[in-house]
Amino acid sequence: MKCLRCNNEDPTYFYKGSKGYYCRRCIRFSRVLLEEELKSFDYQIAPDAGEYSFSYELTDTQKQISEKCLEALKKSDVLLHCVCGAGKTEITVQSIAHYLEQGYKVAYAISRKEVVIELAKRFQDIFRKAKVTAVYGGHHECLKGDLIVCTCHQLFRYYRSFDLLVIDEADAFPLKGDETLMNIALNSCRGRLIFSTATVDEQLAKILKKREVCTLKLYVRPSRKPLSVPQVICLPEAAAVFYLFRLMTLTANRCIIFVSAKRKCEQLYKIASRFFSCTYVYSDLKQRKENIAAFREKKYRFLISTTVMERGITIPEVSVIILHYDGVFDEGNLVQMLGRVGRGVGYEEGRSYLFCAYKDRQVRKTVAYLKEANSHL
Amino acid sequence: MRCLFCDRPIESYSLASLFLKTDELCPKCRRRLSLKRKKIPLGGFEVKTFFSYDGFFRDLLLQYKECHDEALKDVFLYGLKEYLELRYHGYHLLCIPSTGKKLEERGFDHLKEMFRLVQLKKICCLKMKEEITQEGKDLRERRKMETNYAYIGPDVDKILIADDVMTTGSTLKGAFSAVKCHAKMVKVISLAYKNITLHL
Repeated sequence: MKCLRCNNEDPTYFYKGSKGYYCRRCIRFSRVLLEEELKSFDYQIAPDAGEYSFSYELTDTQKQISEKCLEALKKSDVLLHCVCGAGKTEITVQSIAHYLEQGYKVAYAISRKEVVIELAKRFQDIFRKAKVTAVYGGHHECLKGDLIVCTCHQLFRYYRSFDLLVIDEADAFPLKGDETLMNIALNSCRGRLIFSTATVDEQLAKILKKREVCTLKLYVRPSRKPLSVPQVICLPEAAAVFYLFRLMTLTANRCIIFVSAKRKCEQLYKIASRFFSCTYVYSDLKQRKENIAAFREKKYRFLISTTVMERGITIPEVSVIILHYDGVFDEGNLVQMLGRVGRGVGYEEGRSYLFCAYKDRQVRKTVAYLKEANSHL
Repeated sequence: MRCLFCDRPIESYSLASLFLKTDELCPKCRRRLSLKRKKIPLGGFEVKTFFSYDGFFRDLLLQYKECHDEALKDVFLYGLKEYLELRYHGYHLLCIPSTGKKLEERGFDHLKEMFRLVQLKKICCLKMKEEITQEGKDLRERRKMETNYAYIGPDVDKILIADDVMTTGSTLKGAFSAVKCHAKMVKVISLAYKNITLHL
């Protein structure tokens, strides 16, 4: 017995219901009976869907990688291993356009709903004549379009449907550590895959090993400014808070402070809000959007956050302080958090600090990675 | 054995497990399914509810009803089955029927499956006059359910009407008014209640 959607072969996960056997491993994405024939969706891609135009010019390096990517897709899948803020989305546009011109089905999958909404708008501006459909939790009435932009969780709706699937941030939540979801994502594609990420974790490395993949690396941001290498400060956690407050009084920039847990986020906010103009955010917080918006509008100088702010968010002119305790953050998290520094055209300045009890493996790997990336400038 | 909801292995054994059927939820998930008994008056009768329709119960019920995970059928009444058998001894159990479309889609009647192990006499004498689904409907439209049921069976002494979630209470009102002339005593239970303001 094998589930066609999630590749599960463990017999203990199959349950015999009144309609026959079904897989319980992927049951949270609705029931799939073993005898059921899964179908891919039918849609006629518009003939001029592949026409695209940018409102800005791509850099020469971006153009080169973009062409290499298209070339590599003819033979194998592609891993776009680019630093944060290198313009991974723009690089995939040429390949997407090529596939759309051929009348093939294309999807762009990313982790979070907010990013899907933002990205769908961006793609609609780039592909003016194509129907770009955004699919995410609570918005899945329309599943068909020339170009599908969706969250990874929604890929279960498409079985072997896409000729080109771009999986952005393939090493991040929700794909990270979720083998079932990763298999569902891979099974939604019948053609080529583009994985785009800044760091490759073990799970992704395993998948890449099994498939034939061409790796394209891009270490340079469009601004050609180096990535921010953090100043590592080794202190016990209790002492770090005092040093942190000292830093907060000295920094002129606005600043995002990353902590490892919601509880810590609240605790630090309670103390820091007495002395500084600050706000906080974590995934379950009701006023999450309002707090982020207020920080963007410069109402607050400091934002205390969990990993919720680590990806896909561009706020100009920020510095980053990371409190790396409890061993929660890995290299991927750290690189992404530090990638928030120096984003946005014209605002490349910003500093970063990393507090930790000692320089553990993740810290050493992160610093080495950033230094190596900067050496290519 | 694995927990049916979170997939964690169930290893801990409690004293209760000596007397009861083995729980299919792990202790951690079971604790999240907090029992909150409440009696809610509803225009002339009282509805007994057992859970609050909050985060965990909602997730569990959605997986059972909307993702069609039939394996969860015995999870909801674990520990409550014995109580229902004792408290409502001699009653005929009448489950609220689902619409034909939903039944066909699921392949099973979710309420009947939930109450299948409860040792009370079961009757299926309630019919919908018009097949109306209540999902996403507002209060005015839901009120149509108050006159949408008909009782088509023989008269009995005692009837226990059972439903899964009570939102506005329209379904239960409809079922109660259809049944009350055909039985001397009618009691109503609903597994969970949604915490909304009722306009009674």
